[in-house]
Amino acid sequence: MEAIQVDGLRKSYGDFEAVREISFSVARGEIFALLGRNGAGKSTTLEILAGFQRPDGGTVRVLGLDPVKDRGKVRKSTGIMLQEAGFFPDLTVAQTVDSWRQLVPAARPRAEALELTGLTAKAGTKVRQLSGGEKRRLDLALATLGRPDLLFLDEPTTGMDPEARKATWDVVTDLAAHGTTVLLTTHYLEEAQRLASRMAIMDKGAIVAAGGMAETLAAQTGRVAFELPAGVEIHDLPVEVTAVEGGTVICRVPDPDVAAQTLLGWAGERGLRLRGLEVRTATLEDLFLDLASKENA
Amino acid sequence: MTARETLAVARLGGRIYWRDKQALTATVLTSLGLGIGLPVLMDRVRAGDPSVVAAQLLGMLAVVLTLSGFNQSAVSLTARRDQLILKRLRATGLGDGAVLGGELLNIMVQSVLIALVTTVAVVSLTSASAPRDPILFAVFVVLGAAVITLLGAAWTTVIPRAEVAAPMSIPFFMIAGLGAGAFGPMGQLLPGWLTTALDLLPTAAVVKVGRATFSDGTFAGDLQTAAVPLLILSVWAAIALLVISRRFRWEPRRS
Repeated sequence: MEAIQVDGLRKSYGDFEAVREISFSVARGEIFALLGRNGAGKSTTLEILAGFQRPDGGTVRVLGLDPVKDRGKVRKSTGIMLQEAGFFPDLTVAQTVDSWRQLVPAARPRAEALELTGLTAKAGTKVRQLSGGEKRRLDLALATLGRPDLLFLDEPTTGMDPEARKATWDVVTDLAAHGTTVLLTTHYLEEAQRLASRMAIMDKGAIVAAGGMAETLAAQTGRVAFELPAGVEIHDLPVEVTAVEGGTVICRVPDPDVAAQTLLGWAGERGLRLRGLEVRTATLEDLFLDLASKENA
Repeated sequence: MTARETLAVARLGGRIYWRDKQALTATVLTSLGLGIGLPVLMDRVRAGDPSVVAAQLLGMLAVVLTLSGFNQSAVSLTARRDQLILKRLRATGLGDGAVLGGELLNIMVQSVLIALVTTVAVVSLTSASAPRDPILFAVFVVLGAAVITLLGAAWTTVIPRAEVAAPMSIPFFMIAGLGAGAFGPMGQLLPGWLTTALDLLPTAAVVKVGRATFSDGTFAGDLQTAAVPLLILSVWAAIALLVISRRFRWEPRRS
C-alpha cells in the first residue's frame, strides 16, 4: 500500500483554482518532493493531505485513510511542519517542547528532540527571541516529536542559514533511512535534488512534470559553458550554441560530456584554450527554466 | 475527544494564561476590582441593607462572568486563531473537540474562580450574607460560566481579526450588567420589551438563581425557580454549539 495516493484532486477558493486535478503517489519510506513557485498549489495540496482542508473533488488516501474523515487516526501517525504556524512567544524552547510532549502520545524525550534539531543550546531561550531559522528548527522538533510514520514538511528550511539547512537535510535523510515517509514541499531546488528520490513539479495548480528525480533530470538537456576564444566566431564552433551571455557561450545539449569532448578536441587542434569551461548535467533549475520558457512560448 | 487530551490542552492554556500580564490585568484584576469594589462601595453608601449589597454583587457577577468568560474566550481564541496557534494545536494528534474544549475549559475554570473569589470577598467584606444554598448557587455559576464561555467562542465567528476582538466584545458586559442590575436603577428606565429580552440572557439566568439562593426560601422553591434559568442556559448552549460546529474558523481568512 502507498503511504499517499492522490487521484484527480481539485481545490478552489472562489473563482481561483488552487489545485487542478492532480494525481500522484508516494511509497512508504520514500522522500517525495512537491516543487513549484510560490502560489503553485503545493501548500494547499499538503494541507488537504494533512486534513486541514476538504478537497472539492478527487480522492486522497493517507496511510490508507481519508485525511478528513479519519483525521484523528491520520494525525496520530503523521508529523506536520507547517509553512506558517504560531508558537506561544513567552514560553522557552524547552517549555514549548515539554508542553507539546503532553499532547503527543509516546513523544520523544525533550533532550532527544532538542538534540535532533540542534536546539539544545537554546533550551532556555524564549521563543520570541529565536531567529526565523531557529523557529523552523523548533517546528521540526515538534513535527518529529511523536516519531511519525509520515512527515509533511512545508518549506522546511526557509530562513535557515546554510549550516542549519544542511543539518536539517541530515535529520530528514536519517528519518527516511529509519522508515519515515516524507512529503516535502520546497522551492529550493537544491534541497529537493539532495533529499528526494521522486518529485512532481506544480505550476498554476497542475502537475507539469513528475517522476524519479534521476530519470527526470537525465531526460533533460545538460549545459556546457565557456568563454568564447578571441578571434573565433560563433558559427566556427562544432556544437550548436543556445545563447551568448556577456562573452560566455552557453550550449544546452542532451549529453554535455560528449559536447565537451568535441569542443576540447576542436580547440586542441587549433591551439585554443576554452577558459571557464563548465560542464554539468541538467539540474532542477534547468528543468524549471525549460518549463518556464515553454510556458512563455 | 478524550478527557486526557482536553485536560492537557486546558493545562497548557492555564500555563499561558497565568504568564500573560495583559490577560491578568484585563481579565483578573478588572473583574475582581469591579466585582468586589462596587458591592463594597454600595455597602458603605447603603449601610445596613444587606439585600441591596447582595443585589449589587449578583449584578456584578453578570459583569464578571461576561468579562472573564465571554470576552476572554472571544479575545483569546481570536488571537490564537490569527497567530495560527490553533492550527499548530490541530497539527498534533489531538481532535478538534479536545483543542477547543481544552481552551474553553481553561477559560471557564478561570471565570468560575474569579466569580467565586468575588462572591467570597464581598460576603466577607460587607454586610451581605452568604447564599442560603451555596451548592445550587455554585452549580449555576459553573453552568453560566460554561455557557458564556461557549458563546464567546461562537462570537469569534464574526470577529474578522484579533485587533478588533476586544472592542467587538466589550458591549456585552455592559448589556449583561444592565440586565442584571449591576448599574443600579438604570434598568428601571428601560422599556418593558427590552427588560424581557435582557431577562433571557444567560447571565440573567445565573442572577435569577442567585437571587433565590440569597433570599429566604426552601430548597424545593429554589429548584422550581431554577427550572426556567436552566432552560435558558440550555438554549444558549445549543445555539453556541450549533454556531461553533458550523462556522468556527481555525485559521484567519485567506482573502
